[in-house]
Amino acid sequence: MNAPLPGTRPQAANIPLQRARPEATGIRLEQVSKRFRGGVLAVDRVDLDVRPGEFVVLVGPSGCGKSTLLRMIAGLEAVSGGRIWLGDQDVTSRLPQERDVAMVFQSYALYPRMTVRRNLGFGLRMRHTGRPERNRRVAEVAEVLGLEHLLDRRPAALSGGQRQRVAMGRAIVREPKAFLMDEPLSNLDAKLRVSMRAQLSRLHQRLGTTTVYVTHDQVEAMTLGQRVAVLRDGVLQQCDTPQHLFRHPVNLFVAAFIGSPSMNFVAASVSGGAAHFADLRVPLPAGSSLATADRQVILGIRPTGFGVAESNGWPTLRAVPDVVEELGDERNLIIDINAPRVDTDATRAAVAARTADDALLLPEEKARFTVRVPGDHPVSIGEPLDLAVNPERLYFFDPETGQTLR
Amino acid sequence: MTTRTATGPVRIESRWARPLQVGRYLLLFAFACFFLMPVYVLVVTALKDPVQVSVSRMWELPQSLSLNGFREVWPKLRPGLVNSVLLAVPVSIISSVLGAANGFVLSKWRFPGADIVFPLILFGMFIPYQAILIPMVRTMRDLGMQGGLDGLILVHVIYGLPITTLIFRSYFAGISDELIDAAKVDGAGMLRTLAYVALPIAPPAFAVAMIWQFTSSWNDFLFGVMLTSKENWPVTVALNNIAGGQQVPFHEVMASGLLACLPTLLVYVVLGRFFMRGLMAGALKG
Amino acid sequence: MRQIRQWGPGLLLVAPSLIVLGIFVYGFMGWTANLSFTSARGRNLTGDYVGFDNYRELADERGVTGQRFGIDTQNVLIFTAVFVAGSLIAGLVMALLLDRGVRGESFFRSVFIFPMAISFIAIAIVWRWLLSNGTGTQLTGLNKLFSASGLGFLANDWFKSDSGWAIAAVALPAGWALSGYVMALFLAGIRGVPDDLREAARVDGAREPQVLWHVVRPMLLPVTMSALVILAHISLKTFDLIYAMDLKSLKIDTPALFMWFTTFEGGFYGRGAAIAMLLLAGVAVVIIPYIWYSVRAERRS
Repeated sequence: MNAPLPGTRPQAANIPLQRARPEATGIRLEQVSKRFRGGVLAVDRVDLDVRPGEFVVLVGPSGCGKSTLLRMIAGLEAVSGGRIWLGDQDVTSRLPQERDVAMVFQSYALYPRMTVRRNLGFGLRMRHTGRPERNRRVAEVAEVLGLEHLLDRRPAALSGGQRQRVAMGRAIVREPKAFLMDEPLSNLDAKLRVSMRAQLSRLHQRLGTTTVYVTHDQVEAMTLGQRVAVLRDGVLQQCDTPQHLFRHPVNLFVAAFIGSPSMNFVAASVSGGAAHFADLRVPLPAGSSLATADRQVILGIRPTGFGVAESNGWPTLRAVPDVVEELGDERNLIIDINAPRVDTDATRAAVAARTADDALLLPEEKARFTVRVPGDHPVSIGEPLDLAVNPERLYFFDPETGQTLR
Repeated sequence: MTTRTATGPVRIESRWARPLQVGRYLLLFAFACFFLMPVYVLVVTALKDPVQVSVSRMWELPQSLSLNGFREVWPKLRPGLVNSVLLAVPVSIISSVLGAANGFVLSKWRFPGADIVFPLILFGMFIPYQAILIPMVRTMRDLGMQGGLDGLILVHVIYGLPITTLIFRSYFAGISDELIDAAKVDGAGMLRTLAYVALPIAPPAFAVAMIWQFTSSWNDFLFGVMLTSKENWPVTVALNNIAGGQQVPFHEVMASGLLACLPTLLVYVVLGRFFMRGLMAGALKG
Repeated sequence: MRQIRQWGPGLLLVAPSLIVLGIFVYGFMGWTANLSFTSARGRNLTGDYVGFDNYRELADERGVTGQRFGIDTQNVLIFTAVFVAGSLIAGLVMALLLDRGVRGESFFRSVFIFPMAISFIAIAIVWRWLLSNGTGTQLTGLNKLFSASGLGFLANDWFKSDSGWAIAAVALPAGWALSGYVMALFLAGIRGVPDDLREAARVDGAREPQVLWHVVRPMLLPVTMSALVILAHISLKTFDLIYAMDLKSLKIDTPALFMWFTTFEGGFYGRGAAIAMLLLAGVAVVIIPYIWYSVRAERRS
């Protein structure tokens, strides 16, 4: 992370910005809804409180309403219901130009006929900031982002990464109450994306500006967000720290969406203080509310919730790897489980939002597990091995509602 | 095969490729001759000496080049040419500016009902002008704008609005919505978004719209003949008058025809690319 | 409220244009329609309400007016058929000839399209000479060319012919003016077919004519419709060209000219308005579905 980043100038990036904002502004959404013409409900009564200086990521599959929500905060989209507060001001009915927020767009949206300098200064110019002040701030931001040598170029003469930085710079120069970012890294190649992610984190630490960041990529969400808000079909599912989201998903969708590779699911039954699936009996964790229950559940296990070398007295599952994916340090095994597969809207929606290689997770008939094992553990395709299931790392979901059962 | 190495690219073609190619060029040349035939007649006759001009020898090349025709016809055509310049230049500028504003609003700053308004505007582009001619002439007379060029300019600007609006609307539709959003978030209202963000990227659309309007107002006949008095005739009306007169020698007619066409042809030759785009826009979709 | 502040300025900016167009297009069309139900004569446009009398008169083949209008309608239909079919075919052939990388393509393209930049008046002046029907020592124009190249049997009286098809000769200059445009439309359409698609067909074993027929042709339908509609509405409206070719000849008279003469030479404003409305109806039948279709196609994409 601290190695020099490609395309950036680390020595410049280390100069601190002189004037971080003295006090940051929070954003509060109260029951915000958006119904498009034609009746589609894109955002459904979302409550969200972004604390001053916080970095919150909105994540979800495409069409979940995250971009619409962001655009409503910017004022680019009118709200159909609810209120939006910027600090202690109700900005619900203000036009974008009357809200003091800055936005970074997926396509960067740099003004093609303006030089980088004029692009950076445009927002200040529109807000009638005097020329000397404008030039000073543009120069300052250009230095921080390592853009000084590009100031007189037009956007067409810049690389993707440089354009991305100009787009960032255009937001930073304004010193707005909040940054709104709409998938700002998705047009970069994978390597640059990782480096920009780190830069962005550092920038936020330095500036302390309240930021709302939209992405469909849960890895990006987890690595960037102080808190991550997961949306599905316009409804806010859960907003929490990445750790808490990973450990305590409130429902099947969040559980399936967060974490890579995805959580494994299998239909199971609970009775007598244990869960049963595929001829296996796993005792419930201590204090589980299901201890006395007798019912059907969906059981979830993270790929990392298995032990291969040691069994610790856990119940073991004999399985035959179908596919082995080498990751170097680790391996992903894909195994068939002798139990019906789980196919609910929630798992399907979560999987559809993921990368294509995760599609293997939902084969036709039987359940399939992905299991992550250490790279030094010998496995080969077709060779049976014993997998110990860690009872402490099981998740239970209601098959009807998808809610987590604790 | 082994003997064919290093003799350039190996062509994959059938036995008939060569004769077909020859036939293709022959046909193309035939078409080109058809299109250039009137130009040949026009130029050749215009350059002929009066004594050489006769109907039966129209295809023959001039024995000596003579600018007599041009000299004779220049005084008669000059006022028309001047009027047409005074007409076409303001028309192309005013229509384009209005079209830019309309096109911007209809594509990037839309209001409820814009989807209904636009087809209604478009229809104005296709109507036969006979259907509005009587009230239009009457209105222009009542406004005291019949006879002069100002009325003709006004009418061309108005009936040019649909096409220029269409040209700019299509052009602006091609730029990203995020660009407009960025300007809004940066604090620009509609006029400043138009002025600072949209217009600076619109020169190609201006070229298309201006050329279209220049050409169509230059070539218009119907409005010109209805709305202007003799001293304000545009060149098409003047040309028709010269050509329709009794006993006007052919070389003079052809010389005036050539002169009347030169400005638009010049525009076509120099800015053909934009001219073509206008034609495509006129078909609603390219 | 916020909504109005958002789009209000836009509406304000286009409002002048909308109002002016509303008056000059729709208001004037309404006025003309209204006028067509009166016996208005003279420039004051006053007359009694006569209902459909003007239309009835135009339809009545026994009267002089009806007779002429009948001929005009027939003329404009013949003209449209010949002109549209001819331009479409010529345009398509030219586009196909140019499609696959011809040396000097831009030269040919320019030559085919330049007539679009020329006024119909100038076109008519040259072509009425080229289509002259003089004989003997007066033999000239295309006829002279034909006889000189041994194609004398092709010579004819063109638009001065006595046959009802005289107007078809006017389709020649009209097609000369517009088939290059059609060529451009077709060329754009053909080139709009993705190369992958054509290559896939070639790899699948299709020969070039088969590629054109099975792959390119189905995708040209929208372009063909566009060209058809544009040409048809132009042909209904054609005025200058015929006016300058021979304005006094009944053989190449059309409703567009008849309206002009009746109204502004004859002073029958009511009747002229009726012809204008029929002309408008003819154009509207072609154009309104076209606009509707285009707008819808755009909204879908």
